[in-house]
Amino acid sequence: MACGCEVRIADLDERAARQRARQAIDEIRRIEHKYSRYRADSVVGAINLAAGAAPVRCDDETLSLVAYADALHGTSDGLFDITSGVLRRAWDFKRARIPSAAEIDAALSLVGWGRFERDGRQVRLARAGMEIDFGGFGKEYAADRAATLLMDAGCRHGFVNLGGDLRAFGPQPDGSAWRIGIQHPRKANETIASLDVVRGALATSGDYERYFELDGLRYCHILDPRTGWPVRHWRSVTVLAPLAIAAGSLSTIAMLKEAAAAELLARSGAAWLTVGPSGQVDSSEGLAGRLPATASRDDPR
Amino acid sequence: MTTSPSAGAAVLAAALALPGMVPTVRAESAPESAQIGFKYLSYRDSQPGLKRVSVDAPSVSWLVPVAGSWSLAGSYTLDSVSGASPRWHSSISGASRMSDFRRAADLRVTKYFARSSFGFGTAYSTEHDYRSNSYSLQATFSSEDNNTTWAVGVGRALDRIDPVNAVVVDEHKRTTDFLLGVTQVLTPNDIVQANLTIARGRGYYSDPYKQIDERPRERNQAALMLRWNHHFEDPGASLRTAYRLYGDSFKVDAHTLSAEWVQQLPRGWTIAPSIRYHTQSAAKFYYDPVYDPLLGEPFPPGYLTDPGGYYSADHRLSAFGALTLGIKVTKAITKDLNADFRLDLYQQRAGWRVGGPGSPGLATFRARFVQVGVTHKF
Repeated sequence: MACGCEVRIADLDERAARQRARQAIDEIRRIEHKYSRYRADSVVGAINLAAGAAPVRCDDETLSLVAYADALHGTSDGLFDITSGVLRRAWDFKRARIPSAAEIDAALSLVGWGRFERDGRQVRLARAGMEIDFGGFGKEYAADRAATLLMDAGCRHGFVNLGGDLRAFGPQPDGSAWRIGIQHPRKANETIASLDVVRGALATSGDYERYFELDGLRYCHILDPRTGWPVRHWRSVTVLAPLAIAAGSLSTIAMLKEAAAAELLARSGAAWLTVGPSGQVDSSEGLAGRLPATASRDDPR
Repeated sequence: MTTSPSAGAAVLAAALALPGMVPTVRAESAPESAQIGFKYLSYRDSQPGLKRVSVDAPSVSWLVPVAGSWSLAGSYTLDSVSGASPRWHSSISGASRMSDFRRAADLRVTKYFARSSFGFGTAYSTEHDYRSNSYSLQATFSSEDNNTTWAVGVGRALDRIDPVNAVVVDEHKRTTDFLLGVTQVLTPNDIVQANLTIARGRGYYSDPYKQIDERPRERNQAALMLRWNHHFEDPGASLRTAYRLYGDSFKVDAHTLSAEWVQQLPRGWTIAPSIRYHTQSAAKFYYDPVYDPLLGEPFPPGYLTDPGGYYSADHRLSAFGALTLGIKVTKAITKDLNADFRLDLYQQRAGWRVGGPGSPGLATFRARFVQVGVTHKF
């Protein structure tokens, strides 16, 4: 994984903990290899290579991830679209350049979940050049799977943290919560808050992961599949939910929904913390941890 | 742009459909919340024309987690027993009236580790003519993947019997029992278990209130219990099946088969119908209601020539078959409050025995258990 990966197991001696951690990391690697869009021998690589050509037969795990992607597409009114990765061909964040309308249109013509065809176990992208990408939830899926594996192996205290998206499977051995730092969206080496997590998951999406700035405007890597342009509004959205994949998907959908996400989060039933356009921090009730003084709810502790 | 009111729930529901999101197996772990329960049990049994024993027993039970990895649990029951106990077989004329209170209490402390638990329990029960103290130790160990759990246990019970009729004075019974068990998770939906218990008892086993009741002063028992629970995802139900093989040195051999269907229903309801069939042979010293031609009732034939032999007319030691039909209804009123109701109807008949003839001449024995209870978690 192209991110910091931390498996913490606090209730076993070092040898046993290392052995479990090994199994958890093996599971994370398995998922990375199977669904990497950079590997031609991965499932995603095979589907993308066969775009516009023959259907590809999928196993149960892949089909359930496809079903999940479909559910997210529906829930997000089409904003969460795993075929939108081709927009990166138009947006090169290293070159810090705004693409032409023609470039964006060309990329947009290859986006559309509606053109991902499914027939039993066979799946197919309708047009050559189209691509799917599980990157929008693959990391969180891996964190959940690894945490489940550790729970099944009897671990009761610890967490799996993949680049800030984390699933905890139990408190610290003394029963207290894990305090998890939330990346400051503008200061690379600082946290903006620390949240207490005992069990369940926490995930953050933000405009700071890959971006460029031009004429005072920030262009981030989260792209709206309808317009082909980067989303604006939130600097970051953190969601706490029972599963890392649910927390990560909700935080990404919130980024995609821009200002309308405030209502979505308020009614989501999840706990959340947002950093708004001018840096103001807002959070749901019931968050425990160290919140910045600007947080509009909940006492800072 | 519309915002679904349940985006969070929809995303979570979709995520939970993915494989491997939640653990399939849970090792025995320390309870996380305290719990208190109140139950009321009513028991009535009868034979045609005779209402026999009735028991009304309110009880309270509680459990508190201590310091994360310990639990302390206990219960207290007060039984009021009244009725008629036949003095031999099902003789009504010879029935002795009785009325008694029984108090019972137990306490268990358990320490939980990552893959093992150790428990100590003690129980105390008293009636005006009977007192029982028991102690037990139990340990469980789970395999690395938590799919296999072994259990070992040892228990010791000391009973004191001082009947009001002073047939015997200050009699004792001492029992030691051992448990060996293994539980195996086969699939996320299948669990099997085998438990072997062996008990060795010495002391007074006779019924002091029956006219002719002389039983051996030792009883060794062995029981093998096999269980298989299967969960059906689709109707959201579990089938719990069990078979028990039992034998003892009184020469009572028994087979018991049971099945329970636990159906989850909307709005916090659970309904669980159950059926149990039991068949057993008679104890070698049980005598049929055929009496000595010279002495008459209740003396068994040959009593004159062997008055020191073993004899019992207790219907529980006869050869019979028995069927129990039960239903349990549970309602989760809130997240922390449960109410339950249980009804069991038991019928014992000689003609229902399988694997041999039933003991002749005994009237059908019926019993009814009703239990209502509430449990609250904190």
